[in-house]
Amino acid sequence: MLNKQQKRKQIVLTALMIAVSLLFLFPVIWLIANSFKSDAQITADMNSLSAFLPPALSENFFKNYTDVLFGTKFARYVGNTLLYAFIVIVLGIIVNGLAGYALAKIKFPGREKWMMIIMLLMIVPMETIITIHFLFIAKVGLLNTVVGYVLPGIVNPFNIYLFRQTFISLPDDVWEAAQLDHCSPMRYFFTMVLPMAKSVVATVAVFTFLGVWNDYLWPSLVFTSGDLLTAQIGLNAITANDNTTTGMTLAVITMVTIPVILIYSFFSKQIVEGVMTTGGKEG
Amino acid sequence: MAFIELKNICKQYKGNPKNSVTDFSLDIDEGEFIAFVGPSGCGKSTTLRMIAGFEDITSGELYIDGRKVNEVKPADRSIAMVFQNYALYPHMSVEKNISYGLKNMKVPADQIKEKTDWAIRILGLEEYRKRKPKNLSGGQRQRVALGRAIVKDSKVFLMDEPLSNLDAKLRVSMRNEISQLHKKLKNTTIYVTHDQVEAMTMADRIVLMKDGIVQQVGKPMELYEHPDNIFVAGFIGSPQMNFFHCKVQDGQLVFPDGAKYQLTNEQNHKLAGRSEVVMGIRGEDIKFSDLYIQQHPENIMDALITNIEVMGNENNLYFEIGGQQTVARVDKYEVCQEGDTRQFVFNPDKMHFFDSKTERTIR
Repeated sequence: MLNKQQKRKQIVLTALMIAVSLLFLFPVIWLIANSFKSDAQITADMNSLSAFLPPALSENFFKNYTDVLFGTKFARYVGNTLLYAFIVIVLGIIVNGLAGYALAKIKFPGREKWMMIIMLLMIVPMETIITIHFLFIAKVGLLNTVVGYVLPGIVNPFNIYLFRQTFISLPDDVWEAAQLDHCSPMRYFFTMVLPMAKSVVATVAVFTFLGVWNDYLWPSLVFTSGDLLTAQIGLNAITANDNTTTGMTLAVITMVTIPVILIYSFFSKQIVEGVMTTGGKEG
Repeated sequence: MAFIELKNICKQYKGNPKNSVTDFSLDIDEGEFIAFVGPSGCGKSTTLRMIAGFEDITSGELYIDGRKVNEVKPADRSIAMVFQNYALYPHMSVEKNISYGLKNMKVPADQIKEKTDWAIRILGLEEYRKRKPKNLSGGQRQRVALGRAIVKDSKVFLMDEPLSNLDAKLRVSMRNEISQLHKKLKNTTIYVTHDQVEAMTMADRIVLMKDGIVQQVGKPMELYEHPDNIFVAGFIGSPQMNFFHCKVQDGQLVFPDGAKYQLTNEQNHKLAGRSEVVMGIRGEDIKFSDLYIQQHPENIMDALITNIEVMGNENNLYFEIGGQQTVARVDKYEVCQEGDTRQFVFNPDKMHFFDSKTERTIR
């Protein structure tokens, strides 16, 4: 039971947290509220508190959204992004997972040095090597292709590190038992290792999805065709169009932003768990 | 021809100048229950893992059912193994854990079901078949591990300290279950343990190891009654055998404090030409009863009881002989108290003599 002083302290703290949250949420609330309004209404509400309130329900309530989804290629861009994310997640888990497993469990010459190199790669920002990626993809004729977009995103040193740190703590005797159960190394990886490390698999999947969803620089370099654009690039293309209203722009931004917020809130526990389980288990 | 033959097996790890296992030779008959026993680091698990195929054999030859298997993969050696930490697949139910190997071996589905049901039934796991390992107790987990081993019709069962993670009570009941299972299935079983009680109670033969070298191979009572050296004598039996460094003078055994014991003719003959020996005697062969004392009046000694361990079915009496702590096992009806002085004699037929330098038994 809380005593009076503790209760008062808790109330003050809760109020403070709500105030801080609202401060950070103001732009999001404004964005969502205005994404349902016509341009005229947005201008009219600009200097009043109703700028933060959605309009009353009417038949035009979702007009901006229907205009964006049916009047532009936004739905296709979202579909493209989901497809790319799916490919990068699946291939990323396989490639980075196998690399992490090798570094954790298979003894080979120079294993520790390889690990060191991979860890060093984690500090190299993507922007510094993007030119090399671009030149390579252009040279092999993969510009403006899904393969060209996906290829450089598959291998991720941070994900290799996450997998390695998790796999290192998996008991060796399970692999030995699986060997006696006629389980091949690849089968063991897919049917035992990944399910046993499902929290780190989920973490990597979420990080990868967010990476692809939020990526702007790489798709803007690789894609020139309108049909292959991602949601982020598509957002730019749609908002740059003269026929796009402010309300539609806000609707597009809402649709691009909300998934990220939702994913963080749904998977925050798993993300923390995944990262936590990889900490402090240096083998 | 033996079912499993280990011929001069050696194991040396890279970077370690010493062998972990040295010149291990053993023939194991089909259906035999063999226990590898010894203290930590004696090489028993390493030997088991070489038989399983998880460790390379540095030199020597290993045959299973007449086939040399040094280079054969673990899965192709027709062995099943039960691990110390169970090694269950954590994301699979009891049923799936047991049937996983059969599925990989492409056994027809109806046979998989039949065998899995059989294993689940004889191990008493019916009500847990859908549970995941994390929802099972230690004993139930070990039973699942046994189930996984028995469904595959393997020729050899290897068990690596399977009971060491269980509490004392459960260990006793699981010990019995494994023995019963072995009697039922009659598989050749190699059981690694550091617990001599497990080895004594379960095995047909015991292989006792120390520092990678086999000290003695034999039936449990052979090792108990006729140990080859001081290490075997001390390792087997609880409480441990009492040892005394004695001199041999004029047909007498002289203890460090000067106490004397009149050797029998047979003992004199055995110790002829020796001036120093190590005498060993088990606690139960130190006799306090009047009957024994009357039979050996020439060798009566006094014991000042310093401690009594009440075990329930018997008592352990602690006292000193020749300045050395000694323990005697006596009947629970043998009433005495700390501070009492009691007369005792050694049972001359059960005295062991060891060479003081080589520590080998003098026969």
